[in-house]
Amino acid sequence: MKVIMSLLFFDMAFWFYLATMILYIGYWIIKKEWLGQASTVLAIISTFAIFMMLIFRTKESGHAPFSNLYESMSFFVCIMSVAYLIIEFRYKIKVVGAFVMSIAFIAMLATSMLPYRFQDIQPLNPALQSIWFELHVFSAFIGYAGFGLALGMAVMYLIKARFEESKTSHFLVDRLPPSAILDELSYKSVAWGFIFFTMGALILGAVWANKAWGTYWSWDPKETWSLITWFVYAAYLHARVTRGWRGKKAAYVAIFGFLSTVFLYWGVSFVLPGLHTYASQ
Amino acid sequence: MAASDKNPIHKTIGNKIWGLFGSLKFTLFILFSLALFSIIGTFIQQNQPPAFYTMAYGKWASLILRLGLEDMYHARWFSTLLIFLIANIVVCTIDRFPPKWKTTLESRVDVDARFIKNLLNNHTIILNDEPVFARERILNVLRSKRYKIKEANNAEGMSIYAWKGMIGRFGSDVVHVSLLLILAGVIIGSIVGFKDFGAFYEGEVTTIPVTEFQFGIDSSWYGIPLPKIQRHKKASDIQLRLDKFWIDYYETGQIKQYNSLLTVSDNGKEVIKGKQIWVNAPLHYKGLTFYQSSYGMAYDKVKQAEFVLKNSKSGKAITPLFTADWNTPSDISGTDYMIKVVGFVSDFAFDPATKAIFPKSAEHNNPAINVEIYKAGKLVSRPWLFYNYADLFAAIPDSNYELVFQRYQGIVYTGLSINNDPGTTVVWAGAVLMVVGFFMAFFIFHKKIWINVKRNGNETEVYVGGMINKNKFIFERELSEIAESIKSDISGGMRK
Repeated sequence: MKVIMSLLFFDMAFWFYLATMILYIGYWIIKKEWLGQASTVLAIISTFAIFMMLIFRTKESGHAPFSNLYESMSFFVCIMSVAYLIIEFRYKIKVVGAFVMSIAFIAMLATSMLPYRFQDIQPLNPALQSIWFELHVFSAFIGYAGFGLALGMAVMYLIKARFEESKTSHFLVDRLPPSAILDELSYKSVAWGFIFFTMGALILGAVWANKAWGTYWSWDPKETWSLITWFVYAAYLHARVTRGWRGKKAAYVAIFGFLSTVFLYWGVSFVLPGLHTYASQ
Repeated sequence: MAASDKNPIHKTIGNKIWGLFGSLKFTLFILFSLALFSIIGTFIQQNQPPAFYTMAYGKWASLILRLGLEDMYHARWFSTLLIFLIANIVVCTIDRFPPKWKTTLESRVDVDARFIKNLLNNHTIILNDEPVFARERILNVLRSKRYKIKEANNAEGMSIYAWKGMIGRFGSDVVHVSLLLILAGVIIGSIVGFKDFGAFYEGEVTTIPVTEFQFGIDSSWYGIPLPKIQRHKKASDIQLRLDKFWIDYYETGQIKQYNSLLTVSDNGKEVIKGKQIWVNAPLHYKGLTFYQSSYGMAYDKVKQAEFVLKNSKSGKAITPLFTADWNTPSDISGTDYMIKVVGFVSDFAFDPATKAIFPKSAEHNNPAINVEIYKAGKLVSRPWLFYNYADLFAAIPDSNYELVFQRYQGIVYTGLSINNDPGTTVVWAGAVLMVVGFFMAFFIFHKKIWINVKRNGNETEVYVGGMINKNKFIFERELSEIAESIKSDISGGMRK
């Protein structure tokens, strides 16, 4: 009966996230205060459920809950939800939740569709038994979460900026925050994401690799794709201060960056061969 | 910028190149190019023999090989992009840092009301106090928010300039320098670092080779003297002994950990005794690091082998299973024969040209053992016996005996990577600096506030305005709060 608790909380979280997403979208469409409050409450419940899933998973497996795709995706969703709730409380803009919670739910959906062998608890192989590995993944996933938020902000920015420019109006777009705020939030999400990504994916990953294999960098596909992602977000940070690139082009770079993140996370595991392939374990 | 006629042509071109390397668009171009080529490198398998590419890509193979796409990250033009990146960082820093330093450090203190009203965020406050009291009040508010303050008096009243988070402006420079430091560490490692691999058998002592390097001059390229690095391997004073190798398993049978127990001697003296290493926990000694990297069974040696003597006609065993140690003669009980194990190959292969026997691979696919048979102390035969094919050759001539190679106990070796990379420290220093730089750049904001205080009849006019390099919305709020507290501060006079 040991495995059941984490699976139970995962299933609960799955339905909570679905409801949260629907509520936030509902709030976006009909803008009723009670609906907004209900959305936030449900977002907190969902976050708590996925958090409990991680706690039970840690207890059941005896190691940090990010040793396979199933665990790490749940961790990603948890971190992103916490980050989103912080933004919601600080900036008081709930419409953003419709986008962010959609990303969270899509992540939950993808996780729930993983074949059973990726959901199973596996003992850690020799290379993974390191505090550096745990710090590496922990920090990298905060980075992923930041990038996920930035994706939501960038998409909203592009929609909003288009309408602002053409001075047209649509009630759904009008309810989005001004594009300047979305741009700022997108930047902030990337900034937080980038710092943790650099620290986690690249630096701590290199420290771990150096401890385990005696090489801090070996151009394996996962490493290379983290570097690619790093290049893209570095380009985003520079694009924001480059004439002719700030604004829309920068937003596209942020979207491109998230596609790179998704490939780094899923694509490398399933498409390319290498050391990190969660799928081959 | 149009080139002036007075400038000689080389200067104009020089300016253009400088301008290119100093532009942010060029930075974007380099970053996107690096990303794109790295992507290609992950889809084309790297460092395979040329035949692999011919098989996989057909007529495209020659193009891949010519462009160096099979070793993307060491290809000349990949290095060129990295050199461009370095040049880009250096030129941008030379161009931008001095003016930034100047404007950040030296800011106007004495400003008029119009200057403040032109700022994006500004407030106008009317007070009933004397300017002296207003000043005191403003300074208190700013100090409580940890601003640094400069003041100036002018004909109409006075100006206050307050700032904080100046250091945040230089975060990006710190990141850029850290990137150069990391690349420097990588280059140091590639020049003076080395990596070796060795298989170590239990109980055996191995002298560790180290790679030395020397700087020399190479004039082979058009007679132009260029620096050259010569590397050569030599034996060091350091000796390594493997005391034990073992594997830990989970209850489920999956491998939990590989362990080696190592003893290090330096100049004949034991300096590290029985230190256990495992994956993720290497041993360090004098700049050398020993990593648990692999393990396996020796392909050219066994610890002992077991045989059975049979009657070649009836096929019945004459002796029970008996053991012979490596290179140690032992009696075959019940006979006057002796046996000595003298050779082993894990994967038998024979070269007819040289008549040499050698292991085809390190895998134990076709194990064969070489024994010497003595009768009354005299060597009578030296056959190879096969583990998979008993009874292939008669082992003992002129007899009814048949010797069967039944079992063997291989020698386990531990595979250790031996590393020396002085560049690593530099890389870590760069990494730490980079994180520090990011925190400075992303989370410390340079806030500047100007306040102008002016007497107008019975009232005192206070203009408050400010600027921030990023995070505008938070600053908007902070400035409103400051304006509000100047207005409502109870230590002063009445509110209007």
